[in-house]
Amino acid sequence: MTDSTKKDVGGLTRRQFLGGVAAGAAVTAIPAPAIIKRASAADPIKVGVISPLTGAWTVYGRAHIAGFELAVKEINAAGGVLGRPIEILPADSQTEPRIVSEQANRLIRRERVDFLAGTFSSAERNAAGPVVEGADKVLLYPTFYEGQEQEYYPGVCNPNIFMFGPEPTQQVWPHLEYIVNNYGGKFFMIGSDYAWPRVTNMVTKQKLAELGGEVVGEEYIPFNTPQYESVLRDIRNSGADVIFHSLTGSDTVNFRQQLAAAGMKEDFVLWTVDDEEVVTSGLGQDVPANDYVSFDYFMSLKTANNGPFLERFKAEFGNDALMNTVGVAMYNAAHMSAKALEAAGEVSSEALRANLKGMTFDGAPQGPVRMREVDNQLVLPSYLMRVNPQWTSVNDMFIEVQGFESVEPLTARCEGLPL
Amino acid sequence: MAEVLSIVIDVTLLTLVLALAAFGLAIIFGLVGVINMGHGALLTLGAYLAWWGVEGLGLPFPIAVIFATFGVALVGLALEHVLIRHFYDRPFDTLLLTWAFFIVTTEIIKLVFGPDFRNIANPIAGAIEFQGIAIPAYRGLVAMISLSVIATTALVIFKTTWGIRIRALIQNRQVAALLGLNVAQTYKVIFALGAGAAGLAGALIAPMMSIDPYIGNVFLVRSFFVVIVGGIGHLLGGTLIGSFLIGGSETLFALLSDQVVAQTIVFLLAIIVLRFRPQGLLTVK
Repeated sequence: MTDSTKKDVGGLTRRQFLGGVAAGAAVTAIPAPAIIKRASAADPIKVGVISPLTGAWTVYGRAHIAGFELAVKEINAAGGVLGRPIEILPADSQTEPRIVSEQANRLIRRERVDFLAGTFSSAERNAAGPVVEGADKVLLYPTFYEGQEQEYYPGVCNPNIFMFGPEPTQQVWPHLEYIVNNYGGKFFMIGSDYAWPRVTNMVTKQKLAELGGEVVGEEYIPFNTPQYESVLRDIRNSGADVIFHSLTGSDTVNFRQQLAAAGMKEDFVLWTVDDEEVVTSGLGQDVPANDYVSFDYFMSLKTANNGPFLERFKAEFGNDALMNTVGVAMYNAAHMSAKALEAAGEVSSEALRANLKGMTFDGAPQGPVRMREVDNQLVLPSYLMRVNPQWTSVNDMFIEVQGFESVEPLTARCEGLPL
Repeated sequence: MAEVLSIVIDVTLLTLVLALAAFGLAIIFGLVGVINMGHGALLTLGAYLAWWGVEGLGLPFPIAVIFATFGVALVGLALEHVLIRHFYDRPFDTLLLTWAFFIVTTEIIKLVFGPDFRNIANPIAGAIEFQGIAIPAYRGLVAMISLSVIATTALVIFKTTWGIRIRALIQNRQVAALLGLNVAQTYKVIFALGAGAAGLAGALIAPMMSIDPYIGNVFLVRSFFVVIVGGIGHLLGGTLIGSFLIGGSETLFALLSDQVVAQTIVFLLAIIVLRFRPQGLLTVK
């Protein structure tokens, strides 16, 4: 977060915030179907897309919105949905949860969008939760995240929120055995100090213990920490085999640069669950060489859909544009929601909810994916990759170590399933 | 014993790298009295100019560092000439002006270089073994440069005629002006010097960090704490002691607690210091 955003929103009190939410809820009092029926056949279907376009996570913002834009272009070129084109109303989250709830309210109340897609971090999604709950609008959430736990309702376990990114039992669990068998079970966990790294590590520990491994150190780092001497010393003295890494933003780059500069890369294996194409590009060749990364999607993937997908993406956004797991999740979310509305024959939150559940999408760049009915969680592939020490572009940045085509996560820890 | 030595080395590296980042602010805030909120942008600009020198112009890294230093000094000079010099008597206006400068510069950097992470390959990869302790070679070098830059500047200010003029200016601007000192010109030179120091710091720090439009921000708040805790105007001792308290001591607290608590304790300590010594640690009332 920059200080400028702090200034902008400093005056937002709890009262104003609650007022905004209440106003958002009031929209539901107007009979929504009436508005929709008045819309003529050629009126666009409006989608509010909230992306981090400024602030700390700006680097992820471009792939985030580009994925959705590409899909919408494809849908509109094929005649739209129910004969209506889709229109994107972009909004900037400024990487700031409070801005997210303002933007979500604005999009729903003033722009009268039909549904929302986006938000980036878990904190941003949690800020949007009460808004979509109150206004009865669907939110399509794209980011790899910590999984659903009733405690964080309505940010998760919310019938109006659909998860298109992997959670830890999909992103981490399938690959723990490989890492433990090849490098040993002593893990040093380092992550940014917020919910996603903490819960991801908690979930990882369960499986690690089953495999006979143990956590020999665990550190959480405040955002925007420039220097890592003391953490590096702790890692060196911990006797760890594997550094399990969930730092985010520029902190991840700072830490990994300094780890490499300290000559510690030879002594430890690093496995990151955060650093996709954008971050790895920022690290160059030497710093991330041979480190492990796990996600559902990589630009380097050789699946049948990925080649044509990247061709279309580059034709639209240029040869140097970067795609990643989050951008692809936005792409899938747009296509799947369009299919859901088409199947329902009408545009409403209820149609979207009912028809997204159980839907399979064969056009996903990472391979076929399916929206699980019980907890609105996407069932998707999971890949463990190693960073190519001689990578020259995103096409050869990652080497596939192992992959699973369709990974079922644990059932969400929510009350009142199915959602 | 090795453990103690390794901690001492960590503390030294942390302190000296932070001191380098804060030094440009110590000069501009400490000597000219401008609350320079644009300090972070000057660091960022230094990092980007170094990156552009290496990647765009194909310069060797040391030349790119010099290029960045002079480039940012020039930007500082222009900023002083166009804006700051008209506001020396209005410190709160300069606070807003420099803040605006920060926002504008950051956005320009985003437009010109894009928001992606950039990187400069570590110029001296690997670590030096010292008594069985590995010291990252490049970080070690940066720490040495930091110490020599700060010491040289202090020497200039305390041992040369030009330094006497600056000190006279700080002590009593009116009298210094009456005695024939060209106040406007001296301020200009100091401001450019401070900007250049920030540019140098940004360029040298660049290979250790992610180069993104916010790289300087990470150091902005810490730099202000360094200068205020150490004592405004105490270029050598103040900057070093301030940097130790704000940066180096963190690693000591981290021995006893986790990182989050350690960073909190450090800022708490800074507040306590300012409560009882509002003039800074080194300023005698």
